[in-house]
Amino acid sequence: MTLQARYADVPVETKQRLFDEVKADLRFRDTLYGCYECGICVAACPSARFYDFSPRKIAQAAAREDLGIFYEQLNDDIWNCSQCFSCLRCPRGNNPGGLITIMREVAINNGLASARQALEGYGRVVYKIMSTGTQVSPDMLQPNAFPDWGPHVAEISENLLLWRRALPPETLHTTSTAWEVTDRTLTELYLIWHMTGVMDMIKEVDAGLHMILVDVMEELLEDAGYAAD
Amino acid sequence: MPIPLNVLEARQLARHVQGPQTPPTEDIREKVFELEAKGEWIVQRVPEPWLPVTTKYGRIKKIPVGHTWHHKSCGQCGHIPGYSTSIFWLHRALGLDYDDPRDQTSCTAWNYYASATSNVGAQAAVAMRNFGAAYESGYFPQIHCGTSYGHYKEVREQLVAHADLRDEVRRICDRLGRPFVMPEEIVHYSEWVYAMRDEFARRRVLDLSNIDVTVHPACHYHKLVVEDAIYDPDVYGGQRTAVVSAVVTALGANLKDYSTWYDCCGFGFRHILVQRDFTRSFATLRKIEVMREEADPDVVLTHDTGCVTTLDQSQFAARAHDRKVGVPVMSESQFAALAMGAHPYRVCQLHWHNTDYRPLLEKMGIDWRERWREFEDDLERLKSGEKQFLTWEDADA
Amino acid sequence: MPETVLIVGGGPAGLEAARAVADLGGRVVLVERREVLGGTPDEANYAALTPHLGSAQEALDRLRAGVGRPEVEVLLGSTVTACRGSVGDFTVTVSGPDGAGREVGAGAVVVATGFTHFDPGRETQMYGYYEFPDVITLPDAEKMLKEHRFVRPSTGEPPRSVAFIQCVGSRDRRIGNEYCSKVCCGVASKEAIEIRRLLPDCKVYIFYIDMRMYGYWENQIYWPAQEQYNVNYIRGIVTEIVGKGDRLLMKGEDTTMGRPLEVLMDVIVLSVGMEPSRGTREIAGILGLEQNRYGFIAAPGEPMDPISTSVPGIYVAGAAAGPRDLEDTMGTAGAAAARALGVIRSARPAAATAGA
Repeated sequence: MTLQARYADVPVETKQRLFDEVKADLRFRDTLYGCYECGICVAACPSARFYDFSPRKIAQAAAREDLGIFYEQLNDDIWNCSQCFSCLRCPRGNNPGGLITIMREVAINNGLASARQALEGYGRVVYKIMSTGTQVSPDMLQPNAFPDWGPHVAEISENLLLWRRALPPETLHTTSTAWEVTDRTLTELYLIWHMTGVMDMIKEVDAGLHMILVDVMEELLEDAGYAAD
Repeated sequence: MPIPLNVLEARQLARHVQGPQTPPTEDIREKVFELEAKGEWIVQRVPEPWLPVTTKYGRIKKIPVGHTWHHKSCGQCGHIPGYSTSIFWLHRALGLDYDDPRDQTSCTAWNYYASATSNVGAQAAVAMRNFGAAYESGYFPQIHCGTSYGHYKEVREQLVAHADLRDEVRRICDRLGRPFVMPEEIVHYSEWVYAMRDEFARRRVLDLSNIDVTVHPACHYHKLVVEDAIYDPDVYGGQRTAVVSAVVTALGANLKDYSTWYDCCGFGFRHILVQRDFTRSFATLRKIEVMREEADPDVVLTHDTGCVTTLDQSQFAARAHDRKVGVPVMSESQFAALAMGAHPYRVCQLHWHNTDYRPLLEKMGIDWRERWREFEDDLERLKSGEKQFLTWEDADA
Repeated sequence: MPETVLIVGGGPAGLEAARAVADLGGRVVLVERREVLGGTPDEANYAALTPHLGSAQEALDRLRAGVGRPEVEVLLGSTVTACRGSVGDFTVTVSGPDGAGREVGAGAVVVATGFTHFDPGRETQMYGYYEFPDVITLPDAEKMLKEHRFVRPSTGEPPRSVAFIQCVGSRDRRIGNEYCSKVCCGVASKEAIEIRRLLPDCKVYIFYIDMRMYGYWENQIYWPAQEQYNVNYIRGIVTEIVGKGDRLLMKGEDTTMGRPLEVLMDVIVLSVGMEPSRGTREIAGILGLEQNRYGFIAAPGEPMDPISTSVPGIYVAGAAAGPRDLEDTMGTAGAAAARALGVIRSARPAAATAGA
């Protein structure tokens, strides 16, 4: 049984394959039991107050294996989730937020157009975390990046070098990383990205970003005797 | 004449008579030790001395007092560095030994929750690489970020439940030349602050009895792997996590309640970066405005990176729309440090914060003009090349 | 006159009450309309009992064995046609298979005449029970499951999709049955599990208004149905069933997803509720018992006394008093037996009791 849903033109085999990928994730059985449709997850959900978004419907569609609704959610809903895990209050032990984490991974792995769109403007963050091991760096505080935070951001960016030197902890005198990270540490991180298939995942969703990352990682990996692709 | 009501006391007594409930979940730490007994990994023991705290279902958790390896937070170090600096300062104030490592990456979970450009194996490998590094240093991990803390607890559950995942990550750690180590406890810095709160109270130099405080409990602290968070029957009847709130009370400030305490801050991981209208609206409409209406606090205290950033930075745009905002935001580590006489700029680095904190400092009895002048002198010395960096000695001068 | 209790009805309630009276040292005359003991579970071919899926046949055999003793006289093919007297001294006329009347003296009477399944052809919704062979009821499904098969009655082929519709004939002001029949949620879920076991490729849906599986039924039936057998629960009342090709088109709203719904099913099971059986309605008139507005025997002392009827010395057990599951049925049967013997003994001089 399938309810009326958008993306009717997408073949059901495609929807089934993507759903099966979600179901095959080792976390799946711990994220979904049965659904009472009670709404406690929606009541606690910040995204439900702002968007047409319902963690209950995410859990329901997956529990029913309603492929039409599932595919619609995979494209139109999952990126609205705040991943705060307030929905873990579920009396049945469901974890709609965790289910969404898995769905997002499947969307990225398959390079869905909606997933690429969700990553637009986000590439610099992926680049930062994957290449430096710290997601947020002081030099990201630029007024054009955070216009709604007011002139305070400009004040920080103007004084950044000086203010960073005025920090007593010795590891924090950095501007392009949140703290000082050793080369060995970075090399190990790069190895992890390669060995766990994250680099392949990036390739699928953003070939340009993948190229830049490979380039940045090359030297350290070669020094460590690791032949990158 | 009104009849004296002792309804709540009677209920508490009845609860006491009923005795402790059976925990609804198994104790994962037992499984962690079982896996050690099978030779699957090393369990890094909590160093002595440690303090016992009570978690949600009445179990005891060990909080190491010192000799800790500080798993820093990228958002704290990058954008609100007074947060991390205050945590270190509190350790130094108590004369405790710690390690601030360079051999540490972020947990990478902010990115994972925002973009899903990673996977279970990679996330677990990052966690175990950091745990391995901590073990090799001889210091025990204390985790600064709420998301790292919550995520690592999820990783622990996944590793305990899935032998395949353990094998995959063990192979990676072998390749990296790192030991495969799970700490005996996963400890958040706010748990350490909670455990040490009476020590801080003893060293308090400011009177905070006229300071009203609201607390925002961080989602990834108390909603992820709930059984491991600290609860105390004397804090909100044991129905909310006791961290931060108990510290406010211990320091002699007034803990104020508000009706949206359970709501998240609006951070959203991806929203703060690329769906910012959501973050701004939620932080101000559902959190700051409600606090102002219902509690009118002098400050909001929280215990996680994203919450401080979101609640603090989001108020600027709301002010332009004449919203009822304007409450300074900081971590309880910064607040405790201030209470103990820490410098608001050299240590707490409040100039990185957006919403005006100066009225709070005045109310706390801190001469912020004088302190800022001192800090500007420091900056001049740095600019002139007289000094390269501000040091801990300068901070405590 | 010895301590005789007349029990009307040979289903689970009557059998259990008879066994209990005998165990307590009394005598029983058990009157059963059919030629066989077992009542509705036997007549409607119950196969596996809710919640543990134990064999209904074995359970009935145990109940029947409980009355195979000299203290219990069983009158099969018999009905009660008249009654006079009062507590401690009733004279009841029983009409036997040959039509001949017989008078039975009894100190107390237990009414255990049970329920009947709601006739879904009577309901206001348009479910086509008398039009489409593939629209069946819970007992129809039970009969197939008893034979360890589940097929589309129209073709004899196994279905690919099956839907249960809950609350058919229950909780409906237009029909007049405003009550909840208590057991249908559990029974439907139990049958859904059985269908999923028999036909692992068959999708099973349950359309409900509220799911009501009390106490341990929650984790004995509801959760396993959902979590282990992937039975899909969808909140919404189906408005209409029509034929489309050789399948059934079901119309309604998925109220929690907020979308209208028109789906094809192979078999639709109507979860019919309980109504007073014909025997219950008739015995009320013969014994002069008050009935509630739905025709069940009234128990004016509820909730503390769900056993006593409006006539002193006459007690009610099981589903004659309203929708009851088997746990409640067995419990009220034992209580009725104790009350019946108790009232007889308290009405007699102590010395006589001692000498009995």
